[in-house]
Amino acid sequence: MKKILALVLALAMCAALLAGCGSGSGSGSDSGTTPDSSGDSSGGGSTLSVYAWDANFNIPALQAAEKAFQKVNPDFKLEIVQQSGSSDVEQAVTLAASSGDLSTLPDIVLFQDHYIQKYVSDYPNAWQSLEGADINWDDFGAEKLSYSTIDGVHYGAPVDNGTAIFAYRTDILEQCGYSIDDVTRISWDRWLEIARDVKEKTGMALLSMDHSGDDLPYMMMQAEGLSQWSDGKPDFVENEALKKIIEVIVQGAKDGTIILANSWSEYTDQTIQGDQVAGVMNGNWIIPTIEQVTANSGKWALTTLPTLDGGKDGYAANGGSSLYITGNCKNVDLAREFLAYTFGGGEGAIETYDAALRDGGVITTCISAGKSGVYQEGVDFFGGQAIYADIVAMGASVPVVEQSDYHYVARTYIGNAITNIQNGSELVSELQTAQDQVSFEMGL
Amino acid sequence: MIEKRNRWGWRFLILATAMITVFSFYPMVSALLTSFKTGSSANMKAADPIIYNYARLFKDKMFRTTLVNTFLYLVIQVPVMLVLAILLAQLLNNRHLKFRGLFRTCIFLPCAISLVSYALIFRSLFATQGLVNSVLMGLGFIKENINWLGQTGTARGVVIFALIWRWTGYNMVFYLAGLQNLDYSMYEAAMMDGANGWDTFWHITVPQLRPVIVMTFIMSINGTLQLFDESVNLTNGGPAGTTMTMSHYIYNNAFGTGVANFGYASAMSFIVFILVGILAIINLKVGDTRD
Repeated sequence: MKKILALVLALAMCAALLAGCGSGSGSGSDSGTTPDSSGDSSGGGSTLSVYAWDANFNIPALQAAEKAFQKVNPDFKLEIVQQSGSSDVEQAVTLAASSGDLSTLPDIVLFQDHYIQKYVSDYPNAWQSLEGADINWDDFGAEKLSYSTIDGVHYGAPVDNGTAIFAYRTDILEQCGYSIDDVTRISWDRWLEIARDVKEKTGMALLSMDHSGDDLPYMMMQAEGLSQWSDGKPDFVENEALKKIIEVIVQGAKDGTIILANSWSEYTDQTIQGDQVAGVMNGNWIIPTIEQVTANSGKWALTTLPTLDGGKDGYAANGGSSLYITGNCKNVDLAREFLAYTFGGGEGAIETYDAALRDGGVITTCISAGKSGVYQEGVDFFGGQAIYADIVAMGASVPVVEQSDYHYVARTYIGNAITNIQNGSELVSELQTAQDQVSFEMGL
Repeated sequence: MIEKRNRWGWRFLILATAMITVFSFYPMVSALLTSFKTGSSANMKAADPIIYNYARLFKDKMFRTTLVNTFLYLVIQVPVMLVLAILLAQLLNNRHLKFRGLFRTCIFLPCAISLVSYALIFRSLFATQGLVNSVLMGLGFIKENINWLGQTGTARGVVIFALIWRWTGYNMVFYLAGLQNLDYSMYEAAMMDGANGWDTFWHITVPQLRPVIVMTFIMSINGTLQLFDESVNLTNGGPAGTTMTMSHYIYNNAFGTGVANFGYASAMSFIVFILVGILAIINLKVGDTRD
């Protein structure tokens, strides 16, 4: 009896496994062959393949572009291969370029702005430039283009806009006797005062950040128009602005007005959606996260970032990505034409960006496309504020600051320094440690 | 006849040997060669001087931190886990214990959970607004939420606790299997002679299980030195890199932060390989009773 039972169980398990693996390998081979087949067909045809990763954000934008381009090129087809995250695209490029076999890549990839410079210098063969495409580059925010332009050559067609926003809960501010104007164009010292007041009266913090990938120092520096880099080297120890900024963050954390979360999910799920904060500062892609809490609809408002001295609007950007043509693309002319017509500000730009905004919340950096009607509409969640037009306007003012391939390395070690200073270490020595370690990793 | 059988044996062996060569030995040699190169992975050049990557290791403060972290886990977690495992095995080997199977299953069950999911679950349990803080708060043990994963001491504690929870049952199974091979009458005889539970454990179980203990030690040391999932998923190396393991740092250098420093990452992997080798040899020597 026992033997029969065991046999039945074993058979059932095998069947289940086979069924599972069968369908698994089926879908695996589907996604595996997609770029190959399109690679062949794009030789002379009108199909392009593209990697992207967010079904709620950048994929709707690509679908909108496909539809817009089909108006002038009815045979055109865009095969969008969804990846599980941006790192998958980076891995795919690393793998293809390291092995020297680019045929595994699609024609176009969506790529993170902060990574592209390093990838172009590491793997020059993996990319083809956008030079010769019919794009008016003056129509884009200069800061956005500073990532995708390498040695004066344009590589990327900008997609989304990483312009940083500071969103506040106006109901909480009012409760404490402040308006959104009282927190606009202020200094960080004044911000800390207001934050303490808010904390005292409502128990809520005024800002939070995922401290395992802390973007606060970078954004606050950019709002000053300054960089943590100088002539390609880390510039932390002698950097007075950076020191003051870190002091602000440490002070805020000490007061309990800035919550430094331990992970991304803690940042989004607990601090923002868990109503622990009355303010959010990040790239505007954080807006959908804020909007998840429908109960707070109408209570938020957007403004610019504070600065160290106050009296002016702080503009910064964080994150964002662009589309790049890979070395595997056989039909480069079609790819350039497609990107120029849609994301590049051509005739299909308004249609593309309007649909991208409506379906995916993707905000353009293309100045002319940002003037369309959809962008002027008020958003109920933000009390009727025309946030999209505001963000496009803010994006045009973001200062260009020195960037580095080692952006994320610096982020890690400055974050570590903040943790150690919070625990009582001395500011200058911690910055020295961070600078040494970043220089070390850069091989300086 | 024997020759024919041998020939078949070799044929079966060839397949396995070819696969292990292609999938294990070739990458190892390739990684060794890579560890003497620098530059991007598409265009690697021989390092100048040739030991550049290895010399770098001694100047890398972060690598030192991860080395210390990893050995800290090793020194605290492995002994605690193995002692717990052997004690549990002894308890569950008692034939007079009721629901033995149930207890064994319960203790082994954590091993059936994927490394990533259990690390993520521990992360949410120990989040600042997590279940552990809520329970402690509700019971009145603490007045204010503890930032478990935000402070070095507690974060390391959580990692060690998670490791013990995940791996004790796994090691217990080896001890149980070892105990099954011991003649139970030995225990009965010892009881007759008036030995208590502690005596039987110390004078019968431990000496008899010596080879199994050595094996679990080597496996645990090996596993701990290669610790990765917990560091990445539970704490992400934080706070300030004080819970990051060597493997996590190697990964960061190769794939993690876009740096793609494959030469240096390979050099670090070989250091880990050598460390595992040295510790395994020491362990074998200590555990060897043949003089």
